[in-house]
Formats: sequence, C-alpha cells, structure tokens
Amino acid sequence: MNRRSLMTSALTLGAMHLFPGMTRAQARPLVFATFTGSWEVAHKEAIVPAFRKANPGAQIVLDPMLSMDQIAKVRAAQANPPIDVMLHDPGPALVAIDQGLVEPYPVARSEYYKDLIPAAQEPMGPAGFFQVVGLTYNPDTVKTPPTSWADLWDPKYKGKVGITNMNSTLGTGFMVEIAKMNGGSEKDIDPAFKRIAALKPNLSAVAANPGALAALFQQGQIDIAPGNFNAIQIMKAQGVPVEFVVPKEGAIGFKTTMHVTKNSPNAELAFKLIEAALSPEVQTKLMEAPYLVVPTNAKVAMKGEVAKTLAKDQEDLMKKFVFQDWKTINLGRPGWIDRFNKEIAT
Amino acid sequence: MTEPDRAHPMALALPMAAFFAVFFAVPLLMLLAVSFQGGAGGIGTDQYARFFADGLGGRVLLATLRIGLETTLACLVLGYPLALVFRASPGWARSVITLVVLLPLLTSVVVRTFAWIVILGRQGLVNSALQSAGLIDAPLRLLYTEGGLVLALTQVQLPLMFLPLAGAMVRIPANLEDASMALGAGAWRTFARVTLPLSVPGALAGCTLTFAAAATAFITQSLVGGGQMLLMPSYIYQQAIALQNWPFAAAISMVFLVAVLGVLALLAAASRFARGAARA
Repeated sequence: MNRRSLMTSALTLGAMHLFPGMTRAQARPLVFATFTGSWEVAHKEAIVPAFRKANPGAQIVLDPMLSMDQIAKVRAAQANPPIDVMLHDPGPALVAIDQGLVEPYPVARSEYYKDLIPAAQEPMGPAGFFQVVGLTYNPDTVKTPPTSWADLWDPKYKGKVGITNMNSTLGTGFMVEIAKMNGGSEKDIDPAFKRIAALKPNLSAVAANPGALAALFQQGQIDIAPGNFNAIQIMKAQGVPVEFVVPKEGAIGFKTTMHVTKNSPNAELAFKLIEAALSPEVQTKLMEAPYLVVPTNAKVAMKGEVAKTLAKDQEDLMKKFVFQDWKTINLGRPGWIDRFNKEIAT
Repeated sequence: MTEPDRAHPMALALPMAAFFAVFFAVPLLMLLAVSFQGGAGGIGTDQYARFFADGLGGRVLLATLRIGLETTLACLVLGYPLALVFRASPGWARSVITLVVLLPLLTSVVVRTFAWIVILGRQGLVNSALQSAGLIDAPLRLLYTEGGLVLALTQVQLPLMFLPLAGAMVRIPANLEDASMALGAGAWRTFARVTLPLSVPGALAGCTLTFAAAATAFITQSLVGGGQMLLMPSYIYQQAIALQNWPFAAAISMVFLVAVLGVLALLAAASRFARGAARA
C-alpha cells in the first residue's frame, strides 16, 4: 500500500463518517421538523412511537424549529431538502405552497384524510392539529379571570401586560383580532395599531417570540398576555402559576398543517408519518394530559381538559374558534411589520 | 536556505485558506449578489435605497453601533483594572483570576442570558433587594431596556476584553517601569507614559473582539432587549425569516458588515494615534 492509496482510503472513510447515508439503504433518516417546546415533546412521545410501530426499521429524527425557519432551510436547498415533513402555521403554509416547496398530499391513498373535519382537509397538507390562542394569566395575581381581549387595556394591569411582536403567527394573529374588534379586518389593520398605541402604559414587555413570553410569565415580569393553550401546559405541569381562558370574542384557531417536502428522498415515509399523526389512536393520545392537543379527526371524541376549556365536540369548536384569512394577511404583513418596527419598536 | 524551504510555511496555510475561501468568501460574495436583486427582480440598488429611505434603517443601525460601543466601553472600564491586578499577581493568583473569568464561557450564552432575565425581572434579584431595603416602592423596569441589555452584554463579553488585554499586559517588561521610576517619574506618570501606551495593542484587540461580538449578539439582544428594541441582527432575522425577503435582508447585512468594519477601522486608527502621541 503506497502513500496515495492510504490517503484515498482515509478520505473515503472520512466521507463515510461525515455522510453516513452513503452506506445505508434509506438515503438518510426521515427528518420531521416539528415545533420547539411542548410540540416537540408531544410529537416525540405520541407520533414517533406510532410511526416506528407501523414502519419497523425506518429511521426518524425530529428537528424542531419555527415554521419560517423550516421554509428558509428548505428554500436554501430545494433540490435536496434537509427536511422531509414540515409543520406549518397557516401563514407560513401558504408561503411554502406558493414557493413550490411542498408536494400535494396523496389524498386518494390516505386512510384518514376523509375522516378529518372539513376545515382540516387541506389537499396540499392536512391539518393534524389546531393551535388555540386565548388569554393567559397568572391566577396568583389576577383573581378575577379576564373575559375579553379588551381586558388587556384595563388600567389595573398597568405595567403587567406582555405581547409578542408581529414576527410570529401569534403576534400577527393577535393584531388581526384587535383590528376586527375595532372595525378593521384582515385587509384593514389600522385600528389595531391605534389600539396598541393606547396599550403602551400597560405594556411590560414586547417579547421577540412566544417562547420568550413564556419565560417572562415564569419570572413574574408579566401577569397577562395573549398566549397559546398548548404552550402553557408544560409550564403548568412544572408548577408555574398560569391559566388559559377563551375570551368572549372567541379563541383564535390556527390550523397546523403537515406537508411532504418537494424532492424529499423519503416521500413515502413522510406520507406514513403524516398518516400516523392523523390516526384516531395518535390524536386520542395527543388529546390527553399533559399534551391537550385539539384533535382534527372527527372520529376522536373530545374529552378531558380540551372538552372542558375549549370545545365539547367538533361542531362546538367551529362555533367557538375564530379562523383568520391568512391569504389576505400574508399580502399585508410585510407592510404591517414595517409599521410595527417604526411605531412600536424603539 | 534553499527555495522550497521558504515556500513551505505558506503551503501549510493553504488548507486553511481553501477552507476560508469556500466557507466564508464565497458565501459572502453570494450574499453581496443577492443584495443587488432589485424589487422587480432585476439588478439594482433598490434594497439599499429602501434601507436608507425612511430613516428607520439608519436609526436601527445607529442604535446597534451605540449599544456595541457602550458595551465595549463598559468592558474596558471593568477589564482594564482587572488586567492590571492580573499582571501584579503571583502565578497562583493569575490562575484563579483566569479561571474566574473563563468560568462563564463554559456555560452556553443562552443560559447566561436567561440568568439575566432572572436577575433583572420585575420580581428578580435586583428589584427584590431594592424593595426589601426599602429603596423603591414599585419594581423598576430593568429588563427590556437599553441599560439592562448593555449590562448583560458586558457580563457576557467581558472575557473577550480581558484575555487579550491581560496577555498584552504580562508581556510588558517590568524593568521598563522600574527604569521610569528610577529616572524620577512618579507612579501615575509611569503608568500614563509607559504602561498605558504599551497596553494599547492589547486593549485594541479586546475592543475589536468585544465590539464585534456585542453588536452582533443576536441571542442576548433578543432575550434581554426584547421584541420592542429593534437592532440590526433582529432586523436581518425578521426580514430574512419572518418575511422571507432575502434581498433586503442581504442588503441590511452588507450595510451592517461595512458599518462594523468602519468602527473597527476607526478603533485601529485611534490606537495608532495614541501610540504616536505617547512616543512624542
């Protein structure tokens, strides 16, 4: 063996170590980009075991990140995307579809698609879950639970209100809701900006993202904030005093859709993973404590905390939840964020 | 010495140079190219015009540079005396100081930043202490303010100032100061004319690292500064990720890069001037 051939073998071994896919039948493990925090925990414990059982031997990894981060990653490598299954909020889902980053869902082959409630039947990627945004508050300091978004302006919450900026779905959705309450709409955000200006004395914090908002609750920096029903469950389980209430205007519902990424080398396994997430077994498990994820499969009967706090069945859910028109929101959003930068940011 | 022997040291740097070219220079050029994508899809300076058009971009840039400079100054003020103490200490004390300074670097910046949320919060350490001492009635707003952010950044970046500064300090030969004292200069005069000028290169290296790290500290800025304090890193993130406007985000990045390099060039010029003045 001469020096050159030694070098070649060393390089090959190194490459195999760097790119283990070269030596395996499955090009690489199925990559499921779930969301961070409570979503990651729920999906790791409920969806992944069901997927493994149905597809023995298949490799899977979770790579949790925000919706828009997923889009940026896939967009940067469209021919060989690093993610096989994307999870999206309604706004980013439309962006991903517009940019041609997702495959249509193989509806005809799907066992569970037809059982989903109509609102969840999205042919470019079905909604496996709903996110629910309402008011979150600290029951130790807020003795009377709030009943309306308008309560955030109550002078008794001076310096105790938290919101997030408009970078997130939560922040944008909240602004749209405030616009609607004050004569605006998805087309006309202006009333929301006027109302937010009046909220300044009450504002303790404008967090950079919903996750940071949770930390502020934990530290007693804020007592009341628009918040995500599922995001607070983990905090509650850890003993943080935080409660969720549906405002009388209705909770904001975000369809959370799952998509097979275009050019995914694992398209079939991606489909199998989404199928597992739509199955009544997985959705039932996800609905139970501590996950409390709202099911979209009509065959899953609402029970427990979800039935108590949110909706007793799917029909009730469609009545109690407010769904927003994200097609229109996406058109206006860049301009709104510019305006938020100028008027609210310092 | 033969010809190949002299070529050898340069050849050893080639792998690093190649790595640098592929993973730094090429992406940077691509970023530059993306920033010249016009609004309508053509090539142009639209993105740069937009950045400077309405005053927002300029304000965000200045605020970011200001926070970087404030942090650098705070690190210099805290780090310089520490470096003097370090220089005067015996070997075992130097090890202790180095360990204490480096200890925070062993934890992730996210953890250190979260600690500041606990310290600065409405019910945090500072507010609780002030309230129980009867100095304030209502909690002060510390988190999500510029002062709070500079404080947190100072703690996070202090090692970057201390290490090069202390390194330069210990290399100053002690007999230079002894000579100055022997020739009749007092302690202050010796410090001002001998120690201080000789420590300038170390201080400059520290300032360069601290400024570059503080101005671009995305995590600390967003967690302690909050969503209301718009700074260049979060502005880039917002445009690139939340809005997927890559050309504009690339233009903001290029402006930021040039501005940071500009400040570093000014620092270098200032130190040359300082050394020149010290010699005169």
